[in-house]
Amino acid sequence: MTGPRLPISSVLMTPPLLAILAFGLAPLTIVVVWSFWSWDPLTYWIKPDLSLAGYAAILEAGRWTVIVSTLVKAFGTALLCLLIAYPTAYAVHFLAGRHLNIILLALITIPFFTSYLIRSFSWRLVLGRTGILNTWLRDLGIAQAPLDWLLFSNFAVVIGLVASYLPFATFPLLLSMRRVDPTFLAAAQDLGAGFWKSLTSILLPLTMSGIFAGFLFVFVMVVGSSTEVQMLGGAGASIVSVMINDVMRVANYPLAFAISTIVLVVIFGLVLIGNRIFGLASLFEDQSP
Amino acid sequence: MMIHEGLANRILLWAITIAGLIVIYAPPLYLLAVSFNPALQPGLPSLSDLSLIWYAALPKEHALVGALQQSLIIATITAVLATGMSLLAALAYFELRAQRTAWFLTVILPMFVPGVIQGLALSAVFTRNGIKASSLTVIAGHLLWAMPFAFIVILTSFAAVRRSYLVAAADLGATRWRQFVDITLPLIRPGLVSAFIFSFLLSLNEFTRAFYLAGRQNTLPVVLFGKMNSGASPVIYAMSGAIFLASVACVALIAIRSLWPGAGKRSTR
Repeated sequence: MTGPRLPISSVLMTPPLLAILAFGLAPLTIVVVWSFWSWDPLTYWIKPDLSLAGYAAILEAGRWTVIVSTLVKAFGTALLCLLIAYPTAYAVHFLAGRHLNIILLALITIPFFTSYLIRSFSWRLVLGRTGILNTWLRDLGIAQAPLDWLLFSNFAVVIGLVASYLPFATFPLLLSMRRVDPTFLAAAQDLGAGFWKSLTSILLPLTMSGIFAGFLFVFVMVVGSSTEVQMLGGAGASIVSVMINDVMRVANYPLAFAISTIVLVVIFGLVLIGNRIFGLASLFEDQSP
Repeated sequence: MMIHEGLANRILLWAITIAGLIVIYAPPLYLLAVSFNPALQPGLPSLSDLSLIWYAALPKEHALVGALQQSLIIATITAVLATGMSLLAALAYFELRAQRTAWFLTVILPMFVPGVIQGLALSAVFTRNGIKASSLTVIAGHLLWAMPFAFIVILTSFAAVRRSYLVAAADLGATRWRQFVDITLPLIRPGLVSAFIFSFLLSLNEFTRAFYLAGRQNTLPVVLFGKMNSGASPVIYAMSGAIFLASVACVALIAIRSLWPGAGKRSTR
C-alpha cells in the first residue's frame, strides 16, 4: 500500500458526487440564483435582471403567515414527537427483551418505507364525519353529533404529521441511547438515584445529541411536508410546500423560487448548525459494535 | 436490570410506546380492513362478509395498472442506481480520513431537501434545457431521495468488515480488488440487499417529486393522489391497502433478518 497513486477515494466518490451535484446541488443553486431574477411577461419565464420582486411578494397576501404557521407546526410536531419518541426509545433499548426488541425495531423502521400519501389518506377514514372515531364517540355517548373539527382541520394535520414523522425522532434517540455507557447508570443506581433522578441527571444529558437530532429531523421534515396538509387540512389550509404548489399553478416562478430559497436556507442552516454543535454525523458513524 | 424504573413508570413508558405505534399503524391497518368490505360505504367489514371484490376490480382500472407498471420500472432502476452509488459512497467513506464527516453530510443532506422544492428545481432546470419529463426525470429525482437511506444502511452493514480481515488478506498478497470481492462484498451483501429493497420502496411510494417530474405516464402515487381527491372509491382502498401491505412485508422481512445486526446480541443487562 505504498507509492504515489491517484487516491482511490476520489475514484470511488466520483459517480455518487456527480449524481448529487447534477440532480441536487446544481438545480437548487440555479433556483436560488433564479429567485433574484425578474418576471418576463413576453416569454412567460424570467430574465436575468436583478430583482427582489419574488421576495417582496412573500410579504403580500398573507404569505408570510403561512411561513410562520409552518414553523409553528414544525416546532409543535417536533416537540410532540420527542415526547412520544423518548419513552419509545427508552422502552425499546432498556425494557424490551431480545425478541420484543427486534420486533419493535422493525416496527419503527417500517414507516420510513411506506407511503406517506396512503398513511395520510387513511386518517380520513378514521377522522371523517362517518369515520370510525366519530362512530365510536357517538356509540359511547360522548358526542351527540359527529365532530366536524376532527378532519380537515389543524388538529388532523398535526396528528397526520406526528404519525408520518415520529420515526424520524425515535431513530436518532435510539442511536444515542445505544452509546450510553451502562456503567454510568449502574453507578447512579448504586449511589441511590431513583429512576427519575437517573433519567434527568444521567440519561438526558448523555442523549442530548439524539434529542436534538430527533427534534431537528422532524422539524425539517415538517417544513418540507405537503401531503399531510393536502390530505387532512381544511379549506385554505397551507404549509410552505403547498404554497409553492399553488404559486406554481399560476406560473409565478420568481415567487416560487424565492419561497424555496428561504426554506432551503432555513433547513440547511439548521442542519449545519446542528452538526456543528451536536455532531449529528457522529450519531450514525462508527456503528461497529 | 440496570435501572429500577418501578412498575408505574414502566407502565407509563410502555403506554406511550404503544400509543405512538397505534398512531402510526392503526389508520393504515383500518384502511386495509375497510378494503375487504364489499359495501360501498367505508367501514369495518363483519367477518362473515369479508370480500376481495375490490381487489378483483383492480386489473380493470387501466389508469392504476399503467401507473403501477411505470412505478415498478422507475423503482427498479432507481434501486439499482441508488444501491450502486451508495456502495461507492460508502467505500469512499472508509477510504477518507479527515473529510469523512463532510462526505457523510454531502450524501445525507439531499434527504432534507423538501420534495416539492427538489421536484420543482429539477423540473424547471430540465424544462429550460429541453429535457422532456419522462421516467428518466423521475428517476433523477428519486435517486437523490433514496441514496441517503441506502447509504446509511450500507454504512451500517460495514460494521461486519473488520480491518484485521483486510490487513490479513493484504499480508497474504491479495490486491485491493481481491480483498473487496472475497471479503468485503460477502460480508456486506445483506446490507446491499436491504439498500436495494429500501430504495425500491422509497421510489415506489414517492409522491411529491414524481408529481413535478412525471411525464405523460404518471406514477402510481400521483394517480392515487388524483383519485383520492375526486371521491375515493373502494378500489382506491384496495390499491392503497395492497401497496401498504407489500411495503410492510418487505421491510419487516429485512428488518428482522439483517438491519439491526447488533440487536440480538445485546444481553449484558
